[in-house]
Amino acid sequence: MANTISFCSETMKQYEWLLTRYPTRRAALLPTLRLAESDFGELGVPEMRYVADLMEIPPAFVFGVVTFYTHYRRAGTGKFHIQVCSTLSCALRGSEDVVSRITERLGIKPGETTPCGHFTLSKVECLGSCDTAPMLQCNDDYHEDLSLEDVDQLIEQLRAEAEGGQNG
Amino acid sequence: MAENQTNDGTVAMTSWQLNGQEVENPTGMTIMEAAKEHGIEIPCFCYHPGLSIAGNCRICMVESNRSRKPVISCSEKIADGLEIETESELAVSSRNSVMEFQLINHPLDCPVCDKAGECTLQDHSYEHGPDRSRFVEDKNIRHTKELGPNISIWGNRCIVCTRCIRFCDEISGTSELCIVERGDRSVVDVFPEIPIDNQLAGNTVDICPVGALISHDFKYEARVWNMDRKDSVCGGCSRGCNVEVETLDGFVKRLMPRENLEVNDWWMCDEGRYGWRHLYADDRLSQATRDGTALADDSATAALEQLLSESGPVAFLIDPFLTCEEMHLVQGLAASRPGSSVGGWLPEDGIAANFPSGFKISAAKYPNRAGAEHIFGDQVFGNDATELQKALVSSDFNTVVAFCGGHLSSGPGESWAKALSSTPTSIIFSVKSGPWLEGASLVLPATAPIEKDGTWINEDGRLQRTRSCWNPGTEPFSVELVRLQTLQNALGIRGRSLSAAGIFRELAANNDSFAGHNHSDLGSPGLLLSERPAGIAMDGGSE
Repeated sequence: MANTISFCSETMKQYEWLLTRYPTRRAALLPTLRLAESDFGELGVPEMRYVADLMEIPPAFVFGVVTFYTHYRRAGTGKFHIQVCSTLSCALRGSEDVVSRITERLGIKPGETTPCGHFTLSKVECLGSCDTAPMLQCNDDYHEDLSLEDVDQLIEQLRAEAEGGQNG
Repeated sequence: MAENQTNDGTVAMTSWQLNGQEVENPTGMTIMEAAKEHGIEIPCFCYHPGLSIAGNCRICMVESNRSRKPVISCSEKIADGLEIETESELAVSSRNSVMEFQLINHPLDCPVCDKAGECTLQDHSYEHGPDRSRFVEDKNIRHTKELGPNISIWGNRCIVCTRCIRFCDEISGTSELCIVERGDRSVVDVFPEIPIDNQLAGNTVDICPVGALISHDFKYEARVWNMDRKDSVCGGCSRGCNVEVETLDGFVKRLMPRENLEVNDWWMCDEGRYGWRHLYADDRLSQATRDGTALADDSATAALEQLLSESGPVAFLIDPFLTCEEMHLVQGLAASRPGSSVGGWLPEDGIAANFPSGFKISAAKYPNRAGAEHIFGDQVFGNDATELQKALVSSDFNTVVAFCGGHLSSGPGESWAKALSSTPTSIIFSVKSGPWLEGASLVLPATAPIEKDGTWINEDGRLQRTRSCWNPGTEPFSVELVRLQTLQNALGIRGRSLSAAGIFRELAANNDSFAGHNHSDLGSPGLLLSERPAGIAMDGGSE
């Protein structure tokens, strides 16, 4: 299968700069995947293949790295990836209730994506924000000191954003 | 210069203590390798002598005076003054704990696992593991799927030693395999839609210490402890990879590479590995025929004798699959019929392959060309063959005896088939049916390479012993070695029949190229024809 995707020129420039920062090409794989993720939106088979070909690394190696880390956006992840912290502090402050409220509102369990493709729900380990427990991370943003009302409000806001984006 | 070479060329030695004994080994060895030289086998999963050191399974931990924690003996090197304990309380309890960890998610499916009986996990569990598990939670479920046309993974059994991954990175250089996910979910996988399909892929199944990688070819075929094993040599190409042929009730079930650092290291190619299927293909011959009518095996030998006793000069067409012993018998026959002539045919070349590890697949598909050239002269496949073909086409010979072996080859080409059919009396030893049998007077079933007992000389000039996959007396027809001797006895040019070793003794006594060699000194790596075994024993082997 020929690859039809490629980095935009701006990303390519960043990639070339990255290569100068690492002793070997392979060492630059993690940040290059980050670039790919932001350029392509997610890391699926064609994206991983593109990065492998670009960097002259076996595709299997790239696949192994992408699946090793949980912070890469793998293909099939919803537009909004809601990651609820479920480690000690958050758990004591009611992260389970946060998860069940989201499940109730969106109809998905942790590890699932809504059929519309807008939301993915995950339970994750400590996100390093114990002082503001319970908290969740949605894409790159933290939402802290959550009450169940905050959760409802967040979901409404995200839903509006997703649907708005679709219409626009 | 190697790490342990001193300036004066001797090997530098390191003194260290192994279980309280003062011992010496060449500098630079790992504890595991050095301990093995003193008869102490330290268990391992991820270590393989042919691969880089990964050090991830931790089963080889031993106690060291240089570390408060146990060290892994596969990567830790010996050093002067080092004191290693392999059976101390710390070493034993470390192994025990590692085994308990390895078994946490491993299913107890040995009764249906093809690896059972030759599984490192089973062996080490028996020897070093706890006899019960404290793990009461649910075991992890990981994927079971095809990774390529010949290989599947049973993910639940995988202990993530990465041997198969290192093999694809370092030996075949194809890098199809990787570990996906992490922690207790990690398992071997391929990139989506890039299956593992290289020419050496089958080796990953051999080196898998557990039953995670399974060969489709052998899946549910046999329990390994029920099979007979013979040390043979693959006849697929001129490399002559050392193989172990495993049979169940007389049928070949599997070929495995046999370690020979001079030829194939620990590996073999898939063409040779799965090539045994051709032995049972529809075109395989096992029945002698005279002018198209089936003959019993004894009558076939009698017919052969009758045809040859009446003949004048005979043309012999040999193939490069015959063993040196069979060639010696053919040469005896040729010598007894004045005016006879010998030529040989060569199978078509295949595609050569060189792998990063130095492993080679030869384009030349003739396992004993060198042997034939030492016995019949170096023009046997050259000028002699050209002359022979001309003579046959112009019907200069009344009788031809042809050998058409090689179960993987496409047989002698059209021009030879034409030459054979131009001869009034043609006697053909053939491993399978083909156009070269057209109009043959007598067709005799022939042995395929792994069914032969004798010696071959590979492309490097290495004389190697190959053994038949059949147990003596269970051959489905008279093999060439027996039939040719029976014929020689009947024609009065031989007094008694001998084993392959006996025939080889005759050959060594009569042919200077082979002088000094005998079967029993060949050992498993074989010998270069140019290097004579120490202490030349002219009376040869006793095998």
